[in-house]
Amino acid sequence: MRFQDAAKDARAVVYAGIQADPLVARAATLLERATTAERLLARAAMNGERTDPETWRRIFPTLFGEGATEGLRGHAEQILVASLEVAERGEAARSQYRGAIVEELTARLLASRAGPAEPVKRERRVLFDGVRAEIHPYDVTLESAARPEVYDCKWGARGINADVLNQLDDARAHGADEDVDLRVAIVVFDARRSCDLRLDRSTANHDHTRLVALEALDELKEARL
Amino acid sequence: MSEAVLSPDPRSVGGGRAIAGRPRYASTVSDSGASNSAADTVARAAEAYEDLAGLAETVEDEWQYVTDLVDAYLPSIRALAGADPGRALSGEAVAAVDEAIAEIALITDPHKAIDWLSTFPHLVGLALGGDVDRTSRATDGAGGEPDAADFDTTEPDDDSPFRMLRGGR
Repeated sequence: MRFQDAAKDARAVVYAGIQADPLVARAATLLERATTAERLLARAAMNGERTDPETWRRIFPTLFGEGATEGLRGHAEQILVASLEVAERGEAARSQYRGAIVEELTARLLASRAGPAEPVKRERRVLFDGVRAEIHPYDVTLESAARPEVYDCKWGARGINADVLNQLDDARAHGADEDVDLRVAIVVFDARRSCDLRLDRSTANHDHTRLVALEALDELKEARL
Repeated sequence: MSEAVLSPDPRSVGGGRAIAGRPRYASTVSDSGASNSAADTVARAAEAYEDLAGLAETVEDEWQYVTDLVDAYLPSIRALAGADPGRALSGEAVAAVDEAIAEIALITDPHKAIDWLSTFPHLVGLALGGDVDRTSRATDGAGGEPDAADFDTTEPDDDSPFRMLRGGR
């Protein structure tokens, strides 16, 4: 088994421009140190109809109201500003920004625990002996020689589908065929309960695929799968 | 403090939707006399959620998922009224819920509506100091009836995972 850079098609080239936008890095940096409530704020504001900040401050009194500490309010304010900048990009672009932010956030959280010989990379394919390579690359990989990990990242629970689950499970199974303990996971910037509902209806095998939902993103930096 | 309350006039906010002839809650208005009782606030949220579901289920391929979301979250939203539904909520909490209601009333894209079927319950739960996962389990019969302490926004429960959702790190 080995990792390989994905081929750069036209879509990838355009998407790479979004991934490189400083707004993506700024938002991911803020969300890396965010509470679950702040991440919920980001999810809502990036996907909202209104972009005036006062609306969102009213919707989140625990972050901006009378009881919020100065520190919490300040950090939440930065997240709100970044989230509204994403929303202001328009409906077509914001979905790409949101996806790029979830990927960047995942990569940063993983990097915080990865060792020097465990690079965290993006847009990588996994090649197995005698197996045709998957077309779609994995969003984030932690390329440990001993215990590699691959991640698919989704903005919402709706992104969980049979194709994604099958690709992840196939990779795990092919890894096992080569005696490689390849861990597979799907990271979803959405509520755990909504993801579970989606998974409950899926007939694709996902028994060995870990779900990391919005409430548990910090687990990515605290422990190996 | 500003307070978001109901507007029964669909023309009061541009771009919103009206479903099944119901009044929409798409504007933030002050002093219209909306109730701040837990029961009434939660009822407004539940009705808005049902309206959102009506829009979302027009995506035929996602009908099952929409149905699953509503089956899971609607009882959870209703359970946020708790054991004392007549209690008065803070102005901040009522404003937050009504502002969130106004936000989803503006949605016209059914695909976005599906996204918000997942997000909205958590916003309401956060504003009211309840847990739309935990309370739903209570109504499902797995955890017993929720009690008033579950919804006391002034006394964070250190053992609750929802403490983090309310802002703890």
